[in-house]
Amino acid sequence: MEEDKTNSENPLKVNRRHFFSQLSVGIGSLALGSLLIPDLFKGGPKPLASQPLGIPHFAPKAKRVIYLFQSGAPSQLESFDYKPTLTKRMGEDLPESIRNGQRLTGMTAGQDKFPLMPSAAKFAQHGKSGAWVSEFFPHIAKISDEICIVRSMHTEAINHDPAITFFQTGSQQSGRPSMGSWMSYGLGSENQNLPSFVVLTSRGKGNSQGLYSKLWSSGFLDSKHQGVLLRSGKDPVLYLNDPDGISRSDKRHLLDHVSSLNKIHHVETGDDEIESRIAQYEMAYRMQMSVPDVMDIKKEPESIIKLYGEDSQVPGTYAANCLQARRLAENGVRFIQLYHQGWDQHGNLPNEMAGQAKDVDQASAALILDLKQRGMLEDTLVIWGGEFGRTNYCQGNFDPKNYGRDHHPRAFSIWMAGGGIKPGITYGETDEFGYNIVKNPVHINDFHATIMNNLGLDHEQLIYKYQGRRFRLTDVAGNVVKDILT
Amino acid sequence: MESSVPDFILFLGRFHPLVVHLPIGFLIFAFMFELYGRWKKDSSVSIGIEFALLAGALSAAVACVLGYMLSLGGEYEKAMLDTHFWFGIATTLVTFSAWSIRSGKLKIPKLRGLKSNMAGLTLVVVLVSITGHYGGNLTHGSDYLVKYAPFGRKEKVVLPPIDKLEDAAVYDYLVNPILDAKCTSCHNSSKKKGGLSLQDSMAIKKGGKNGEAFIAGNVAKSEMMRRVMLDPHHEDYMPPEGKTPLTDEEKSILSFWIEKANADFKAKLADVETPEEIASIASNMLGLEDVTGKSGIPLPKVGLVNGEILEDIVGAGFKVRELIFESGLYEVVLPPHYIDSKNGDDLDGKLEKLLPMKDNIIWLSLKDNDVQDRHLKTIGQFVNLQKVELEKNPITDLGIAEITGIQSITGLNLYQTKITASSFDNFIKMKGLERVYAWGTAITEDEVARFAAKQNRPTIIMGM
Repeated sequence: MEEDKTNSENPLKVNRRHFFSQLSVGIGSLALGSLLIPDLFKGGPKPLASQPLGIPHFAPKAKRVIYLFQSGAPSQLESFDYKPTLTKRMGEDLPESIRNGQRLTGMTAGQDKFPLMPSAAKFAQHGKSGAWVSEFFPHIAKISDEICIVRSMHTEAINHDPAITFFQTGSQQSGRPSMGSWMSYGLGSENQNLPSFVVLTSRGKGNSQGLYSKLWSSGFLDSKHQGVLLRSGKDPVLYLNDPDGISRSDKRHLLDHVSSLNKIHHVETGDDEIESRIAQYEMAYRMQMSVPDVMDIKKEPESIIKLYGEDSQVPGTYAANCLQARRLAENGVRFIQLYHQGWDQHGNLPNEMAGQAKDVDQASAALILDLKQRGMLEDTLVIWGGEFGRTNYCQGNFDPKNYGRDHHPRAFSIWMAGGGIKPGITYGETDEFGYNIVKNPVHINDFHATIMNNLGLDHEQLIYKYQGRRFRLTDVAGNVVKDILT
Repeated sequence: MESSVPDFILFLGRFHPLVVHLPIGFLIFAFMFELYGRWKKDSSVSIGIEFALLAGALSAAVACVLGYMLSLGGEYEKAMLDTHFWFGIATTLVTFSAWSIRSGKLKIPKLRGLKSNMAGLTLVVVLVSITGHYGGNLTHGSDYLVKYAPFGRKEKVVLPPIDKLEDAAVYDYLVNPILDAKCTSCHNSSKKKGGLSLQDSMAIKKGGKNGEAFIAGNVAKSEMMRRVMLDPHHEDYMPPEGKTPLTDEEKSILSFWIEKANADFKAKLADVETPEEIASIASNMLGLEDVTGKSGIPLPKVGLVNGEILEDIVGAGFKVRELIFESGLYEVVLPPHYIDSKNGDDLDGKLEKLLPMKDNIIWLSLKDNDVQDRHLKTIGQFVNLQKVELEKNPITDLGIAEITGIQSITGLNLYQTKITASSFDNFIKMKGLERVYAWGTAITEDEVARFAAKQNRPTIIMGM
């Protein structure tokens, strides 16, 4: 290939990034390999990391991730963390011994009282596992034997932007690569006609928070690992379609010429990003054909539409995105990131949350079932959850029918399914107030480490050196939560 | 003992291993010169011999002093140390006399006529070799030299192979191999760093200078465990920098032995309450099938695939990913719709290209690519397959019959294919098969329910 020739001619080109990006195999295998051969990276000027010799390793469980992000932070107390004590002690002030110095947001810091507020939604146990799920989520309740509910997530951030950035990039400050980009970097692409990291967004009627493209940015990784936002409607990718009057062969000519100019420039400067850009143009050209096909859900049979709900036929809804996510997964996309906005219930929680839950409940459950019947659940890791939890006390007026809850980073619930996660279990526990974790805490770094583990990547070995510092998704922390693995 | 010796003495002592090589070199040099001189009848070399002998004697004396200093550290086995010590002294003394004879300073009339030079030199070389050998044994362990020798190799106590995990003695089968791999090169009967030997149960019970290495039932108080659990940068961390640390799995096994098996040397896994995690690690260590199913299917051992073959396969449109680095085990995917009715015949050629790496493929996906029964004949040769995705292809029961020989398949995806319940018998023949996806086929829920009653059969997963 011509591009390769230019690489070898320019000494600037020879770096780790290029070495890896030229491989058709992902470098995840390299990361794991260094477990087997501790001196693997020692040959270079500096070792990447020393890793003890391991006991025999086994094939990874998952090969892709579908992350159903509930942006705005759904309340754990109205979903998966059942706390009858809150009903018994309704209206009582949150004991100081429980709050124990927790900082508050500006929204409730001024409150004189922190009256405990029980859930407006009723809870019941479901499935063989007896998982507690609220009435807001009747479909998810039905698949409780397929999922692993983690009630002991905790984060360091207390506001939406740092919290969601932390979840997506492993750092509260923006600029690091998104986890989808890390996975694309680690595993490589499975379909050359589609990006390996795709983003789909939808919005409920509830109070919502902004989403920014920095959340799916590739940061310092090669920009081909950037998440590609697919929009609903006529143009899933903006400016992807040719303008009227331009034929596909015209486009081909145009690309060939631009590319040859870029290659000259590339030889002169040796800038990696030029190569990436050439590749992006080519990807876009191929996506002109592949995307409309993947996005066309008209071919889906009635039974599938019924499974995901009628909403799945309305482009731009969460249900349609779930269906889309399955189609993208089938076509080899590694990381499919959904966001559903509207979960920030500072007030009017019972109403708003019921609405939000209705948006996502059926389609989330349908996705699990649909993946299962296609044999894809075993190698697809599905994650459902928000960026933090909500307080056990009431924000604003005390009204059990219309209350609000503020941000709560110390404990919240998410669930995961498939891809090497043990089904039908509930992991971790909070105290009777649902405020502090009393058993098996899972930090965001641990969460990332676990996801990477299931994809066959060692979170301590997938390292990228940038500006003189070695970066990992888990930075300098994180332990794989072995108890929830199959 | 160490406390009474000034650090500076110990510091100097550590130069012993460096200095000892000087007399060895000098003396062998002298001996070879002597031989050369006699052969060529050239006496001009004798000045060199004399000088080499003197240098050898002096450096041997220095080495003796430094060696004594090193021995004050008290990390060596007494008996062997004594032997080395006296041989060292003897070598030095004999070398001095050999030099005296050679230089004419010492004349023993009785020996006149005998070839005293030659005899002296020979003795010197023999002595220095013996001393050196004992020294080497002290440093590296007495089995170091002959461990890999082609002759008289004494196999270590060979543990009888076991079939069942419960039969494994915790110490013999799990703990000892770890100690052997990671600890005993410095903690053995002849080289006892910190006064500790981990060579056998007697030595382990004795402990080291800092107390007992293992305290039954108490991981926190067991000195050895305390050290391996430390932060790797801690001064007391074991194994020391530059040596291979223990893995998490190995630490779990040792903790388990101390805590659950009370550091007992006889206890078998059957006697001890064994958590799943330990059972899983133990199965791996012993190469047994994992009873917990935790770590999945053991991977086959295969050779690596040559880059040209991979390039050829990638060129044919396959996506290839090595699942574990340098395992030679690959996932191979043909993206959906790559083959349709228009280029249907291409698939034969493409699959042929996979044959050079047929043993290396453990995950194969050919979904939605117009795969026919005849293609499965080729796939039937891929004997190490574990996960096979053949969904949305016009394959029938006849095709399935072609792949029943692959016993390693655990997951088989056949949804929306033309298979029927007639394939059930073939599924049973595939011993490793755990899951078959059969949604959208002619197979009915009733047939699946009836099949579910059978023994040793895979789960058939239907639509929702």
